Amino acid sequence: MSLDTEHENVQAALAAEALDALDGEEREALHAHLAGCAECRAELESLREAASLLAHTAPHVPLAPARSDRIRARLLARAAADVRGGEAAEPVVAAPETRVIPIASRRRSALPAWLAAAASVLIAIGLGAYALSLRGRVSSLEQQTASLSRDRGRLESTLAEREATLAALAGPEVRVITLASTQERAPSGRMFWNPVRRRYTFFAYNLPQVRPGREYQLWLITPAGPVAAPTFRPGRDGAGSVEGAYDVPNEQIRAVAVTEEPAGGLPKPTGEVLIVGNAAE
Amino acid sequence: MHPTQRTVSYLPADDSGPDDGALVRRMAAGDEKALGLLYDRWSPLLHSVARRIVADPNDAEEVLEEAFWQAWRQAGRYEEGRGGVSTWLTMIVRSRALDRVRARGRLREESWENIPEPGSGDGEGPASPDAAAEQDERRRLIAAAVAQLPPEQRETVELAYFRGLSQSEIAAKLGQPLGTVKTRARLALQKLRESLVVFREEGG
Ligand SMILES: [Zn+2]
Repeated sequence: MSLDTEHENVQAALAAEALDALDGEEREALHAHLAGCAECRAELESLREAASLLAHTAPHVPLAPARSDRIRARLLARAAADVRGGEAAEPVVAAPETRVIPIASRRRSALPAWLAAAASVLIAIGLGAYALSLRGRVSSLEQQTASLSRDRGRLESTLAEREATLAALAGPEVRVITLASTQERAPSGRMFWNPVRRRYTFFAYNLPQVRPGREYQLWLITPAGPVAAPTFRPGRDGAGSVEGAYDVPNEQIRAVAVTEEPAGGLPKPTGEVLIVGNAAE
Repeated sequence: MHPTQRTVSYLPADDSGPDDGALVRRMAAGDEKALGLLYDRWSPLLHSVARRIVADPNDAEEVLEEAFWQAWRQAGRYEEGRGGVSTWLTMIVRSRALDRVRARGRLREESWENIPEPGSGDGEGPASPDAAAEQDERRRLIAAAVAQLPPEQRETVELAYFRGLSQSEIAAKLGQPLGTVKTRARLALQKLRESLVVFREEGG
């Protein structure tokens, strides 16, 4: 058969093909021709479009809104699960080429696919909830652990300070400065001063309560003037303590003193000296 | 050859919402909301086609769902052709419905003769006012074109389209030569195609 004759024959069969009405052999021959004939392919597409108009001649049968909503919701849920699952797309059977797909297998596969999608959603929800509860438990245990760890850190740090204090106080090199009051009410203090470790621990007694916004500040008195040390607040019994390290050369510490200053202390004393002790003693 | 090189547009008349092609592209990108919009727009037509082909209402609903699911899964391979999305969707639903009929071994035989004439308005009610009105108008024009076909041509294309009969099955059923069936099908589709152009020119 010449190409022209074939073309003529195919033209006669294109409408039947547009309606999916060609039988086996003739259909195969047509497709073989279509592969090499753009004109016939365009004509077939145009006839298919015309055939699809027949769909609009189907009498309008409305779907009950509730049923339609259910189908719609199910489709969207499946689609959402499909997106999340990232499944590969089904192999495509181009709709115009679709002939008969074996029904039984399609019917068997359609429902399980849907059920599988539904089940996977449920399983995902179930696992999600379980994972969430596990995460909650782990998070709570982590918080407890962190809290215990902080407590332990604080205790270790406190213990280390106490040991340092004891070490600073217990050495044979420790010197003691006794502070006497400048006033009648007899506040007093004692400075345990370790010139080797260059640490001090200061205790005060019978101190009057400070006014709001004020604290007592310890000073190391040197020839160049007072060097600021930490502030402290006495308890209700008038006792207080403060400890620290110092950079001042030992021989320059001539005396220690306590003044009342704004809370947090100042670099230079502004208040009156409450108690003072001479290091030279 | 024939004056049909214009694309038939099935966009809603008021141009509301994204067009069908945009919706299919969004579906391909994994946007299930686009599937919902496409469903809202075309499920009345697709359900009607399914009901025309399958006997059982529940089957028709399953076919409708299968068709939209297939559209979702194949959206990435959809190529915008002359017929547009509605042609694509109606081909899918027709194919699924005929599959269902073959699975059941049963056509919509019992009520075949009682199906109302297209566009006669029996039992019709717009699902959503705008889209339905626009689709009603299209259906009316298409029904008019189909009604103008000689009865034997119309019977031939309907047997093929709604009952899935092959040309040789149609020839046997009608007692006509195969060549006659071919010719009737060709004349019928060519006339529908021409009416499509008239519809386009009249409708703007
Ligand atoms: Zn050709």
